[in-house]
Amino acid sequence: MAARPVAHSVPEIEGQLGKLWARAAIAREEAAKAQAALIAAQAEAAARASAALAAARETSDGGGHHVAARTSVLNLVVVAGDQMTAANCATIITETASRHASRSLILSAVDPDGPPGLDARIEALSMATADGRAETGAETIHVTAHGETGAHLASIIVPLLVHDLPVALWWPADPPFGSRRADRLLPIADRLIVDGSAWSGDGLAILGHLATAVEERRVIVADWALLRQSRWREAIASVYDLPDLRAHLGAVRRICVDYAAAGTGAAAFDANVVRPLYHVAWLASRLGMTVTKPLSRESEGRRVATLRQRDHEVEVVLQPADSKLGSGSTVRVEIDSRLRGAELVGIVSADDHKVEVSILDDGRERVRRSYAAPRLTDIDLLARAVEEGAADPIAVHALTTAARLLGVGLGSHTSGPHKGSGKAQEPGR
Amino acid sequence: MSPTRTPAAPPVARTARQLRETVTAARRRTRPDTDTNPLREGLRLERVPDPCAFVLFGATGDLAHRKVIPAIYQLWRTNLLPAEFSIVAVARRPYTDASFRNEIHASLEKYSRVQPVDEGSWAELAKRITYQQLDFADDAGFDRLGQRLDELDAQCGTAGNRLFYLAVQPSQVTEIVRQMGRVGLDKEVRGQGWRRLIVEKPFGRDLESAKTLNHEVHKVFRESQVYRIDHYLGKETVRNLLVFRFGNGIFEPVWNRSYVDHVQITVAESIGVEGRGAFYEETGASRDILQNHLLQLMTLVAMEPPSSFQADALRDQKLQVLRAIAVPDPDEVRKNVVRGQYGPGWVQGEPAPGYRQEPEVDPESETETFVAGRFEIDDWRWSGVPFYLRAGKRLPKRATEIAIQFKDVPLRLFRESTGDPAPNVLAMRIQPDEGIMLRFAAKVPGLGLDVRTVNMDFAYDTSFVVDSPDAYETLILDSLLGDASLFTRADEVEAAWSVVTPIINAWANMPPPHFPDYAAGSWGPEAADELMERDGRRWRRI
Repeated sequence: MAARPVAHSVPEIEGQLGKLWARAAIAREEAAKAQAALIAAQAEAAARASAALAAARETSDGGGHHVAARTSVLNLVVVAGDQMTAANCATIITETASRHASRSLILSAVDPDGPPGLDARIEALSMATADGRAETGAETIHVTAHGETGAHLASIIVPLLVHDLPVALWWPADPPFGSRRADRLLPIADRLIVDGSAWSGDGLAILGHLATAVEERRVIVADWALLRQSRWREAIASVYDLPDLRAHLGAVRRICVDYAAAGTGAAAFDANVVRPLYHVAWLASRLGMTVTKPLSRESEGRRVATLRQRDHEVEVVLQPADSKLGSGSTVRVEIDSRLRGAELVGIVSADDHKVEVSILDDGRERVRRSYAAPRLTDIDLLARAVEEGAADPIAVHALTTAARLLGVGLGSHTSGPHKGSGKAQEPGR
Repeated sequence: MSPTRTPAAPPVARTARQLRETVTAARRRTRPDTDTNPLREGLRLERVPDPCAFVLFGATGDLAHRKVIPAIYQLWRTNLLPAEFSIVAVARRPYTDASFRNEIHASLEKYSRVQPVDEGSWAELAKRITYQQLDFADDAGFDRLGQRLDELDAQCGTAGNRLFYLAVQPSQVTEIVRQMGRVGLDKEVRGQGWRRLIVEKPFGRDLESAKTLNHEVHKVFRESQVYRIDHYLGKETVRNLLVFRFGNGIFEPVWNRSYVDHVQITVAESIGVEGRGAFYEETGASRDILQNHLLQLMTLVAMEPPSSFQADALRDQKLQVLRAIAVPDPDEVRKNVVRGQYGPGWVQGEPAPGYRQEPEVDPESETETFVAGRFEIDDWRWSGVPFYLRAGKRLPKRATEIAIQFKDVPLRLFRESTGDPAPNVLAMRIQPDEGIMLRFAAKVPGLGLDVRTVNMDFAYDTSFVVDSPDAYETLILDSLLGDASLFTRADEVEAAWSVVTPIINAWANMPPPHFPDYAAGSWGPEAADELMERDGRRWRRI
């Protein structure tokens, strides 16, 4: 399908959208043949689809057939930056559309010094299901901004949002916190979707900015880096469901996270360590630990920090390890505790399909469990990121603790341990 | 241990409940709390089921293979069960552990809602399944079962927690419960595990038998240990009905006699008795659907808001509705309740035999395959609002729906319009095509002032294209967690029978009905339509 622009201004995009949903639909027979296949019709093909729509409508009126023209669940705005990222995001959105039908705007900016302007094309998606359920519809608007227009994306986005629906702003690359662009875009969003593990460098500076944005702007954040760890968290928590092991959660002495690093020696410091840090932050926030000494670099990629839990200190270590996993991936989490003379070591690791947890009690293996929990795909991550309608207080607290581990000073809004499991209200809703 | 909570200024308590909560919170802050796992907060389950043995009576039966075991497998596959979990399958037929596991695997390949079967997960679950042949009248067999469960506690760490699931014929329930009491399988000793019992419907066949059954069960188990399962209550849309009513503020002001004209609840099946003729001969539509599914749906529509979502708070409110339903006397039964039985016909393009031609059915059977009734709830909210309930087999389609029809506008301003706007309807479709529809009037575009009725339609399929859990998954997990909200309490069962038993008794004293009185593939007997027409209403075309 040719990616030819069909609009060069916001009013033209609006006009095309109007035409599209007035005309485009996929007849049930056609959809049934496709059986769960995705049928995409570009805006310029809308006219050709009108006959099919008319037929479908007749069927609908006469025989109870239901054509779902569009189902609106949310607006998803992607600030893709470059066109390759935009294409990747479009693929993920297409795969996710059947779970969260929405209007998606994918924006990329090119040639910042060139003449201003924009190109847009629109895709309408009608998803048929194999079991004959009603079709769902969604639409994706691809906008390429040229020249100075790229600096004013908010002015393009706002008129194209489906009104009264939540707005999720997906920033797949480094979010430019503190920039004018971020200042204009963040107020539009009810939810910010980022991937901390994809940030440049070690990712920690951006993580600090993110925590500050959450604190100051009350932005609801879904960070894929944290979402990816949900299977680890489930597995770790399950082991400590055993009552006699649970008592050890109040007596943790050391948390050590091994991560994969592409380089060795000092080069290991270049690995993105957002994920390893989140492991520590989650445990610390759940177990009532406070930061006494923020994270600092030692040598060869090793970082250390000190926490306090009740009356004792907890040593924190992030260290590189030999691994075939991608740089920055968590290889192993170790939780050491000491209670009434008994030393317990919890060791957690994961592969593509499962998470394994073992508990050593004074050096002897006491528990070994394997949890079938496949690694989340990008499609799963996007779906989960938009599923939660409100802030996840556990995630907020993990992020705040991560920022404190980085030495970022935060005010009162997000400070202190989590005080309950109630979900925060979405701002402005 | 309370590592995640910091001391905070206690809020001022304005009610006794707030005071209790404040005191409890203060105790938590000062007392080590090892009952909860702080790492669980925010995860899919904030609490996982305790280690336990799941004892399945009737393990070789249809229900076990189609529903119960696939539900357990699905819970296991998604890591919602504890590792210290074992299944003891109990039935009369001779099997070894291995042959039973093979049969279960074959059933999962047929009935698991997620295919293909995850062999890794299955292998782990299979290791935890053992089979015990047992005649329910055999004392020695129950003694062995008790010993085996004790052994499992030691071997598998199931900690004395046991969930007994009776997927058996209703006639076998009393005997099994008696045997369990004799062996002491019901006994809960502090710190040595809990014991729970799941009983499948029907809960008796009339008020007397329900009371007797409850009495027999209560001789052994306390009511708080008993989970009466009506799988309808575990369905996603039924649960959503609670969210719809009590999670949205806009409907509550109109959810009463001032605005609602009447309510229709339909449970329509296109299938016949599907090889269960003998069972159906003993039950009929009133016992099979009206006494439980229909009345349960009615309570959910009509109940007052509960003070919390705790099991008893919810069930107390449902009970209030059941007790407020005006019990019909024989004359009212004759006038307000219709029964029917299908004859031969065509359903969905296929010829269908009449009920009396079904296997295991008496050729002169007087069992009703259709029931419709007009009920009233004598309370402040619903007084004077009729609830029309209907259920039947071999109707044109499978559909379950609750429809609230609102009163007409007080003044018809658009009488000159070519189309007379129909009253507003709020319809909740439970199956298939789960969703919610609101019907209202809209102006037809143009120079005139034509008004047409349009539908605003919310469909689950198009908004959340994710699979809902099967009702049995929801209910089994709830029972393992000790949450009885979606299970029926003894007094609810008896209150429901108090409504239905007079109907059944009145029918028994009437002349034999002229059955069959509706063709398979139609919407029931004409008398059902007349029931509505008499009130100037009609059944919704579903």
